[in-house]
Amino acid sequence: MIAINTEAILETLAFVATFLLLPPLLVGIIRKTKARFQNRIGAPLLQPYFDLMKLMSKGETISKHTSWIFRSTAAINVSLLIILAFLAPWTSLRPFNLGADLFLVIYLLALTRFFTVLSALDAGSAFGGFGASREVTLALLVEPAVILCLAAIGSVSQTSDLGVAFSFNNVSLINQPGLWFIAGCGLFLASLVELSRMPADDPTTHLELTMVHEAMILENSAANLALVEYSHFLKILILLGISSQCLLHAIPFFWHTSQLILALASILSIMILAASIAIIESVAVKLRWTKLPEFIAYSVAMSIFCVFIALSKNLN
Amino acid sequence: MKLERQQISFQQLQEKLNHALAKTPNKTSDTRVGLLTSITGGEIATLMLSPKDGTAELMVTALEHNKFPSLSTRHAQFHWFERALFDFFGIVPEGHPRFKHLLLHDQYPQDFFPLRKIALPDDFKNHLARRYEYLEVKGEGVYELPVGPIHAGVIEPGHFRFSCFGETIVNLEIRLGWVHRGVEKRLTEVPWQKAHFVAEAAASDTALANAFAHAIAIESILDIAVTERAEYLRTIALEIERLAVHIIDVGGIGTDIGLLGVSSAMGRLRGKALGLADLLSGSRFLRGFIFPGGVRPVSERKLSEIKAGVIALKKDLTPVIQILSENQMATERMKDIGKLSKSLAHEFGMVGIIGKACGLECDTRQQFKQGKYPELAPQTVLESGGDILARTAVRIGEIWSSLDTIEKLVDACPHGEEKVALPDKLPANATGLGIVEATRGELIHLIFTDEEGKICRYAIKDPSFDNWTAISIAIRDNLIADFPLCNKSMALSYSGNDL
Repeated sequence: MIAINTEAILETLAFVATFLLLPPLLVGIIRKTKARFQNRIGAPLLQPYFDLMKLMSKGETISKHTSWIFRSTAAINVSLLIILAFLAPWTSLRPFNLGADLFLVIYLLALTRFFTVLSALDAGSAFGGFGASREVTLALLVEPAVILCLAAIGSVSQTSDLGVAFSFNNVSLINQPGLWFIAGCGLFLASLVELSRMPADDPTTHLELTMVHEAMILENSAANLALVEYSHFLKILILLGISSQCLLHAIPFFWHTSQLILALASILSIMILAASIAIIESVAVKLRWTKLPEFIAYSVAMSIFCVFIALSKNLN
Repeated sequence: MKLERQQISFQQLQEKLNHALAKTPNKTSDTRVGLLTSITGGEIATLMLSPKDGTAELMVTALEHNKFPSLSTRHAQFHWFERALFDFFGIVPEGHPRFKHLLLHDQYPQDFFPLRKIALPDDFKNHLARRYEYLEVKGEGVYELPVGPIHAGVIEPGHFRFSCFGETIVNLEIRLGWVHRGVEKRLTEVPWQKAHFVAEAAASDTALANAFAHAIAIESILDIAVTERAEYLRTIALEIERLAVHIIDVGGIGTDIGLLGVSSAMGRLRGKALGLADLLSGSRFLRGFIFPGGVRPVSERKLSEIKAGVIALKKDLTPVIQILSENQMATERMKDIGKLSKSLAHEFGMVGIIGKACGLECDTRQQFKQGKYPELAPQTVLESGGDILARTAVRIGEIWSSLDTIEKLVDACPHGEEKVALPDKLPANATGLGIVEATRGELIHLIFTDEEGKICRYAIKDPSFDNWTAISIAIRDNLIADFPLCNKSMALSYSGNDL
């Protein structure tokens, strides 16, 4: 029987509030930082919330060529990502551990992609078709990097449960700053591709022919689009959260500090990673499509380093 | 430039073209086609340019049966002209390899040819029947991607039909004509003294160059010369227009590769260039500044402010352009994409930025009289790559050369009258030609007057008219995702083509 106490309730409320409210703010931070880099004042930090509200109140246009897949994908994806937010170790503050198996986490992410791709193909537009084809190609290339990084961590901690591996009290991982740091960087680079940020995809572009993620959601509108946008924001939170947790684990200070500081540091580090995305997007250009495998190779290489570290640790 | 109409037979025309456009293995020919059009519908008029000595030749060939064997089969430059010739006059170029409507769409009546003045033959039939059939690429895995005519940005309309194989473009067909306004016809209807208002509206970001070419053409018919001061001021205005368009086009490259800092800075600096235009003419787009006979008066104080503005702009532009040209990723993004070979560029008669980026010396400022050119013409900016990088480099080079030229011209600008009086009437049966190097390249205005001295035919050839074919050629076998950048690097005008 779980003992119900005020602390647990407060923790749970704080956790739910964070993952429901933080994602749009992250996007606001990215946009604001980018605007400052361009000498612009930029939209208010809370603009993504206003945009979501605006979309919710708009009338929806649905192509008559679409089926139930197109109409339900947004809702399915939001649900999947909320489940993922409860499972994945994107913040140190998790009032409960439901058992986050690393393959479950990775394939839940893949499942959201599966539905996004299906709905893009459902409308039958040429843009949706090539957007989907590009998304799948990129996913194929980054997936090994994500799996290997997380698997290396799991292998050192002797468990495939990410909740246990990321819990700041796993002794086998305490003096592994190298592993954590490289895994964090590898996951961050992979996240850039997974989240359709530069240099893989330009989220601000209006040019349909160059789009990856945006090309897939051209047909969505109103509340449907709001859900698609929100699930994308949620994905940003989860992926950046996992990367930032890896980086926090690399710093010994956080292993011996209080839960409260750790929780604040978790949220702050996600925001810092969001700002670094903005900085990368301000100085880098969008790579040519055929050059992308070279960029993804960096994160795959980092994940392979993680595997080496894990192997040497296990052999000892 | 004053022109004589030479009446020659079609056979003589063919021989002349074969001779003038022939190329030997080592050397491309010096003569190029200016334009091909008709006056009433009963003849074709061919304008040949000799850039080397700055002269032009106009050949008029009477047609018997409202048709002629297509010239495009031998000289590729004609293919776009011949399609427009059919749309406007109903003259059929027989054997044209891709004969379709160019400017008039399905809604027009079958036998509507707006510029035709003589009756159609009794047995005439429009075989195209206003249908437009795209070239179909067949094969497993080939799919069609329609883009436009309405685009995501605030730009003019044009339809692109891509035939793709995976991520590769196999063929691109461009359908234009969505902004056809009948400019050429309107120019024959308005009183010639006020025609410059219509002429400069032909393409709004080329307003000044169009007004300039119009003024040169009218002045050549009247055989009058404008004052020295007017020549200087016109040349300054031409360079300011070039500067403003080049700045925003280089910024556009920044937008398309995702270097947003460059694009927002360039957007701001373009405003400064337009401010120079405002100082000179009172209009940010230089509307109404040039007219036949001279220019609007400009005070000395304004000229010195323009000079100060140019110096400040140079200082502001330097770091921004440095960021773009020194960014390794940006260079790599543009290199070897959208490549056009020099020989194809020459064969299809590319002009302006696209020609210069392939190494063609096609800057009419060096060749034809326009304002203080060719005497004070800056050195042509030439590149040899023929790719996006080369085209951007030409634009950047021209930004610097325009800034230098404006400074030099302002210093040398003499005092005096800005305009001369014009006679009331145009001479009868005369022909006037104005050639100006607009931002995008060679702009031609050709005016014919009738027995009463009224303008009976006004032909405009915008540089984009020559250059639209370049995109289809350059993008072949490139990636779909590279098309927007390639398109931006050419930055062609839709309204200039559609008129």
